Parts: sequence; structure tokens; C-alpha cells
Amino acid sequence: MERRTFMKLAGAAALSFEAARPAIAQGKATVRWWYHYDNPQNTPASLVAKFEAENPDIKIQAEPIPWGGGTDYINRIFSALVAGNQPDCAMVRLSYLSRFGQMKALEPLDGFLAGWKGRGDIAEDVWTINRSPDGKQYYMPLHYVVIYLYYRQDLLQQAGLQPPKTFGDFLTAAQALTKDGIYGYGMRGGAGCHDNWGPFVLGGGASFDKGGMVTEKALAANRWFVDLAVKHKVVPPSAPTDAFRQIVDAFKAGRTGMAIHHIGSVAEVVGALGDKVSAVPVPRGPDGGGWTYFGDESNAIFAGSKNKEAAFRWISFLSSAENNAEQAKLSGQLPITISDAKSWTVHPKRFVEASDASLPIAKPLPDHVKTPDFVGRVLPTNLQRALTGGMNPDDLMKAVEQTFYG
Amino acid sequence: MIRRRSFIRNLIQVEIPVLLVLAFALAPFAWMLLTSIKPNADLSQFPVRYLPSSTTFEHYRTLIQRTSFPVNLLNSLIIACGAVLLGLATSVPAAYSFSRFRFAGRRTLMTGFLVINMFPIVLLIIPLFVLMRTLGLIDTFLGVIIGHSTFSIPFSIWMLVSYFNAIPRDLDEAATIDGASRLQTIRLVVLPLVMPGIVTTAIYVFITSWNEYLFAMMLSGETVRPVTVALQLFIGEFTVQWGILTAGGTIIALPVTILFLFVQKRLVGGLTAGAVKS
Amino acid sequence: MNKATATSATVRAATPYGFLLPALLVTALVILFPVLQTAWYSLHDYVLYDPDNFRFVGLRNFATALSDEVFWIALLNSAIWVAGVVSLQLLLGLGAALLLNQSFWWRGLARALVIIPWALPSVIIGLMWTWIYDFNLGVFNDILLRLGLISAPHPWLAQPSTALACIMLALVWQGFPFFTVTILAGLQTVPGELYEAAEIDGASTWRQFLHVTLPSIAGIVATAVLLRIIWVANSLDVILVMTGGGPGYATHTLPLYAFLRAYTGMEFGYAASLSLMLTAILLGIVWLYVRRQAGEMER
Repeated sequence: MERRTFMKLAGAAALSFEAARPAIAQGKATVRWWYHYDNPQNTPASLVAKFEAENPDIKIQAEPIPWGGGTDYINRIFSALVAGNQPDCAMVRLSYLSRFGQMKALEPLDGFLAGWKGRGDIAEDVWTINRSPDGKQYYMPLHYVVIYLYYRQDLLQQAGLQPPKTFGDFLTAAQALTKDGIYGYGMRGGAGCHDNWGPFVLGGGASFDKGGMVTEKALAANRWFVDLAVKHKVVPPSAPTDAFRQIVDAFKAGRTGMAIHHIGSVAEVVGALGDKVSAVPVPRGPDGGGWTYFGDESNAIFAGSKNKEAAFRWISFLSSAENNAEQAKLSGQLPITISDAKSWTVHPKRFVEASDASLPIAKPLPDHVKTPDFVGRVLPTNLQRALTGGMNPDDLMKAVEQTFYG
Repeated sequence: MIRRRSFIRNLIQVEIPVLLVLAFALAPFAWMLLTSIKPNADLSQFPVRYLPSSTTFEHYRTLIQRTSFPVNLLNSLIIACGAVLLGLATSVPAAYSFSRFRFAGRRTLMTGFLVINMFPIVLLIIPLFVLMRTLGLIDTFLGVIIGHSTFSIPFSIWMLVSYFNAIPRDLDEAATIDGASRLQTIRLVVLPLVMPGIVTTAIYVFITSWNEYLFAMMLSGETVRPVTVALQLFIGEFTVQWGILTAGGTIIALPVTILFLFVQKRLVGGLTAGAVKS
Repeated sequence: MNKATATSATVRAATPYGFLLPALLVTALVILFPVLQTAWYSLHDYVLYDPDNFRFVGLRNFATALSDEVFWIALLNSAIWVAGVVSLQLLLGLGAALLLNQSFWWRGLARALVIIPWALPSVIIGLMWTWIYDFNLGVFNDILLRLGLISAPHPWLAQPSTALACIMLALVWQGFPFFTVTILAGLQTVPGELYEAAEIDGASTWRQFLHVTLPSIAGIVATAVLLRIIWVANSLDVILVMTGGGPGYATHTLPLYAFLRAYTGMEFGYAASLSLMLTAILLGIVWLYVRRQAGEMER
């Protein structure tokens, strides 16, 4: 109760302040958009210029927000929501859809989408993945990545092995490549470890459904994953705290033979290793099941925006053919539109193919308010405890189950 | 005068130990500096490559020409100087008051200043953001300056009180008896004596503001974005721009070092010595 | 009593408050309000994304914390963290200050260079040290290997037994210049004739330090230590960048745990109660200090 009064007061104050500001050019709508690109040298200036030329009545105010491991970016958005000065639209992730939903912070796009001709240029699967449990579309897909397996073609060839297709192949390859201070698999146990844990544990039979983490099969899959470090020792001893920076660096330096990441790091990896590196979809489980992480990025319009129409024109512009390719170049990820994907030549072909081949098993994390807890706290801490021998791996699965189902 | 040491003795007792301390202080910085002049390919080489395969200033060029870094540097300078001015203007009188007067509520107030600073700032961010929003101070220099100086005021007051206390109160009293007004006493007697303390506090506030990230990230938009926030933009989700990040880090350390090179002259003994004698 | 003296008495009584006014106003406006608000949250079930279920729960958050295993682990780590970091920073900072107070021709330069670690933003420090400790590409392992001190690279940050100590070293490095500068300024207030007198008495350098220098700077050092304890106890950015609290709970300190609960879980009520307990403990330390200083300060 008090909370709502407080927020109303804050909102009222914000409104009065807004009114006191002189209106920017008569009749011209300003759309504030928050974004994050990995490379600070990339700016959306040319896209903005093109859009403003096509839509002279709209002005785009694009502001880069530090990513800060994801925390800073999200934190900034939620603080702005509480204070009532959120932008009109911003880049957002599926893992926060539930929380936005609970705050009623987003504007459904269905009305706008009905009349948008670019809708068919984005695969129906993507719309399904992005749909909220209430059946509405709040997210406009922007670009994506899919987690796959990087491997050293030269080292596997020397060992007389094929790129691994099953968990069994993977272990064999990892064992063969582990020698002379080099480790077969650069496991990620630090921040963002869900993209390494998922393919083996979810692919091996665990699921986010109720009870899905504590079935015999799920527990066994997790034990198998932890054993890569504890029993087989095919991962570097630093794995428990290695995050993307460390796994990519070690792989680039030739200290690991395989790594699980996505096309976002391809420029770096190929820059260091050239033709020695290639990629395939992550291996499949004993019963043929597979899971890999669909790394999504979308735009959403906030419910508090006063320029929803103009904001939609901007975000739909970014997700239209050609512009979407331009945008994907800036972000270093893959275009979401079917027409841009066809003509995509920014990344070497073998990595785009590995991404495409991974799509059938690619899933986002569950649309649940607790998903950020799972990603940011529960999985890393418990996985690290299991990897350093401080915990029974089965307790890790119980902790995950408890996060989602109390 | 402190006894003169022979050259050799000075070398062994002072200069070599100073070199050791500096080696510890500068080694990681030197590593950063080396990294900033290496081509990117050198960074992920195994075994570790110490000297660059070829020296490059490419990262510095990129930083200055292709990012907003120079503007951010200027913003940081404005914010840090503003924070020092506001911080000193409020904490010097307060510290003087705590040191020279005995009044009701003195101890409570002094403790109170510390207590509010014991709370992790990260948790205050959202109420603060709402407050700053209400005051219309988001993305203004004044907003960030007020934020930074406020968070250093309690520390500044406490530090200054201990410096004020180190100056004998007989001096003030002597001046008052000589017919000086309170303000004259402060200006002519107390302030000159406490100068090393004020300089130290100023450095403290400056550096605190210069390095602060979280608050600046929340309160600044592009208009007043300082370097710490700009640097964070080089650390993306899937790539860290090591070259420009280390170049930026090297540049960030420079203004503070140069500033201190000048103000450290104020940290010289003998000032009080003469005064106490009188 | 005539009117003039009455007025001047009032003025005299009001003077100390007048001097305090600017500082009081600014802090009350900018910090006090958010602090009180956060303290208020600690008595509520407040999840940021769920404002409709904001409700008063009394002391339940505190009770939950006391039976939370991680709270106790984090508390212990915090104690090690604060004691280790502050004492090492003090020792190193004091040593450096005494050295830099001697006269030698490049003193100015040495003084300026020594504050560089303090002049760098925490995020850079965290990233640089993580890289230094890197298993494969880190100079730390490389140098130790070259010196023959270890036979194989060690995963410094991934081993629960070494992770906290390694981050502490990074923080000692970052923070010791604070003590150097503070104590250096304090040393300037030591009257030179005290040393002359001691010299005449034939006191050794060590005895001069013990009986002249130390008593003269004790007040300033004590204050600096107190302020540093508060600062170090609350600092979490370097840990966050280096390990994020891992491996497991090995580098979880109390503010870091509160941060994780507040920003991954958005459980602001619970995080506020965790922070308040840290505040209460720090308050205890301050209280001891103030009581010890009381006699001296009320002189």
C-alpha cells in the first residue's frame, strides 16, 4: 500500500518535471532507446540517420548503457522503471520477460504487429519462443546467437578423431586432447556457466518442469558433467571460476582443445587460430536428446512511453530486412530476419552453419521470475562447490529444483 | 633538523626500500601499460609474452579518435573538482566545529555521520535514483557532484577532525587574546596549520569521485558520463577490448598522479614546528 | 544581563551548529533519506519486480538471515577480509609514509607514483588482477614457474583455499596508498623539536619512532583505520569482478551476498536486512572507538 503511494508520488513528481521541460521541436516525437553493443566503437548513428530521413517526424535518442555483466544494464532499466523515467524502448532479454510482466512494465505489440509487413520475415518459431505466457507478444526479436561447440580441427585430426556427436565421443575427444598441459575441454564454471552446463545436463535428460531436475536420469547427467572435472580431469583446474573471457582466451592461446560458446566470439577466435578452428552443434545425450542455449535479444516498448507508435516504428525498422543485417553487424551477432540470414557473410560460413544446425535443439531458459536467480547465483555457486569437491553434485540439482519450485 | 645521513646510508635505509615499495605499487600498473602498447595478437599468447612484438599506439589512437573518451575525461575532471569544492566547503566548517566546540549532541552527530556511511551504497541506489529524479538532477553535473561529495563528506569530516585536533588549541586562544576575531583566527592561524590535512582530504575526495562507478553509472546519461562509466562500455558481453581498456586505464591514472606531484609539496614538515614554538 | 550579551550568548551557542549546517543539510538530503527508506524495506517483503505484494513482515527477514547458512559463511569471510586487508594496508602504508617522509632528491616523484594504485577504478583493478592470476596467461604463475617456486600453474582464483587471499592482495595493493597519504599528512604535524630533544637524549631511531612519532600520529592513524574498516567492509566491486563470490561461497562477503540477493533476485527487503546487520556490527566497532577516544576528545 505505502509502496504504491510512494511510487505514485514519485511518478507525479516526475510528471511535473517533465511538463516543466520545454517541448522539443513542435510536433516531433522523440524516441529514447537504450542499447548495448560489445564494441564501443560501433554506434547506431547511420541507422538512426537513415530512420530519421525516412521518418522526419521522429527523432531517435539512442543511448549506450554499460552491460556490466548484465547486472548494470538490467539494474539501470529497473531503477528507471521504479523512478518513472524509463526510455520509450530498450534492448531486453527473455529471461526478464516474467519480471517485466509482473511489473506490468511492457506494452503488448500485437496491435502494431498485425499491421506490420515485416512480420513474416521473422520465423514463426522465433515468435513462439518470444511469446509471453499470457499469449501476447511484448518482444520484437532483434538478433540472436546459438551456443555451439568450438573445436580444434588440427588437434582432432592428429588424434584421428571426428568432431564429437555424442557425449561419449565428447569424452573420448576430451581425453585424447588432454596432454602436455593442454586440456581437452575449457569448461565454463564461472559467470554464465548455464551455457556449458545446459547442453550436458538438460541435453542429458534434466528439464525445467516440476521434478525435472531430480529424476534419476537428470542426476546422472549432472554427475557425468561434474565428473569431466573431478574424475576425468579433462578441464583446466581453473574451470570453477572461468567465465567467457577465460575460456575464450585459453582456447585462443591453444591451451584447450574444445570450448562451448557462440558466434559472438568468432572474430577473436578465428583471428588467433585461423583455419585450425571450426564448430559443430553441441553433442547429443545417450538417448539422442539435445539442448543448447538460444541467446536472444529483442526490443520492447515500455508501457509508460508516450510515443509508442513512434517507438514501434523504430524497433520494427531495426528488425526489417537490410537494417537488421546492419544492426547485427554492430552487435556482432546473427540477423533475425530470414532474408538477411540468407545473404549473411559477416561470419565465416562454417560457424553460421554450425549455428543453423543447432537451432532445432536451441531453447531459451524458462520464462520464470526466478530465472535470473538461477543464472546469476544458484547455478554458479552450487556448480562451483560441486566442481571443487565441496558438495555432492546431486545437491546442486536439488538446489536448482528448489529455486523454481520452492 | 633531522640528522644528515651519508649518501650510502640514505641509499640503503631509504632509497632502496622506497624502490621496493614502488615496485610493488607499480608492477601491475606497468603490466597494464605494456598491454596497452601491444598488438592484440600478443595478448593471448602462451607462454606469456612480456615485451610487445612491436610497439603500437593504435589503442590510444582508437580511444581518442573513435570513442567519446576525451569528453568523458573532461567530465570526470569537472565532477571530481566539483566534488572537492563542495566536499571541502561543507566538511571543513563541520570538522572545525566538531574539533573546537563542545556542544549538545556533538558525539551523536559525529557518530551519526559515520553510521549513514556504513550502509553499502549498492543498496541505496534505487531510492537515490528516485530522489535524484524527483529533484530533476539525473544526467546533470550537479547531480553527480552532489552524489559524490555527499558520500565522501562523512569520511572527510572525520579525517579533518583528527587533523584539527592535532593542532594545539592554545594557538587559537592566543590569537583570540591578541584581539583576532574567530574568522580571522581561522583564516590566519588554523587553516594554514591544517593545510596538509585539507590537502589530504581534497585528494581523498578527488580520488573517490574519480574512481566511482556505480553512482555515476546510475545518475549520468551521455551528457555528463565520466570515464569510469565509459570504460565499462569497453567490457562487453562477449568481448573485452583489452587494448583500449588498458590504454584508458593508463590515461586515467595520469591526471591524479600529476595532480599529486604538485600538491604533495604541501605535505612538508616544519610548518607546525615553527608555529608551535611561538 | 543586558540585551547585547544575551544576543552574543545566543550567537555563541548557535555558532557550532552554524558551522555544521551545510554538511548536515547536504547529507540529510542525499543520504539520510535513502538510508531510512532502505532500513524501512528491511521490515518488508519487498521484491522489486513485484510491487503489488509489498507488505510488512516485521523482523522476519532478520530471522531468515540468521538461519541462512550463507549469511554465516559470508560473515566469517567478511571478518577475515576486513582484518586482513586493513591491517596489511596499514602496515604497508605506514612503512611507505615513514620512508617518503625522509628527504631524498626524487621524493616528490616517488610520492606521486606511489598513489597510482589508488587512482585506478576498481573495475580495471579487478580485471587486471584477474588476468595476472590467470591460469594459462597470467604473469603470476609465469613468474613463480620461472623462479621455480611452483612446478605447475596454480588456479589461484578457482581454489577455495587461495581465492580470498588472492583478492585480498589485490585490495591491499589498491588501498595502501590511502594510508600512506593520510599518515604522511599526519607526520607533518609532529613538531621537529621533539626529535631534536630525543636525539640529544641519544634515543635510537626505533625508540624515536616508538616514543615520538607514534604517539603524535596515533589519533590520525586510529581515525584512518576506523574509516578504512568501514570502507573495506562495504567494498565489493573488486570481488565482484574477480570471482563474483566464488568458487562456491569462498569469496562471499556480507555486502557481496546482499548485492547478489538484491540484484539477481531483486529481493530488496532481504538484502536490506543483511546490510543492516553488517551496519550494526560496524556500529559496534565505531562505538568502541568513540568510547576510547571520548576521554581524549572531550579534554
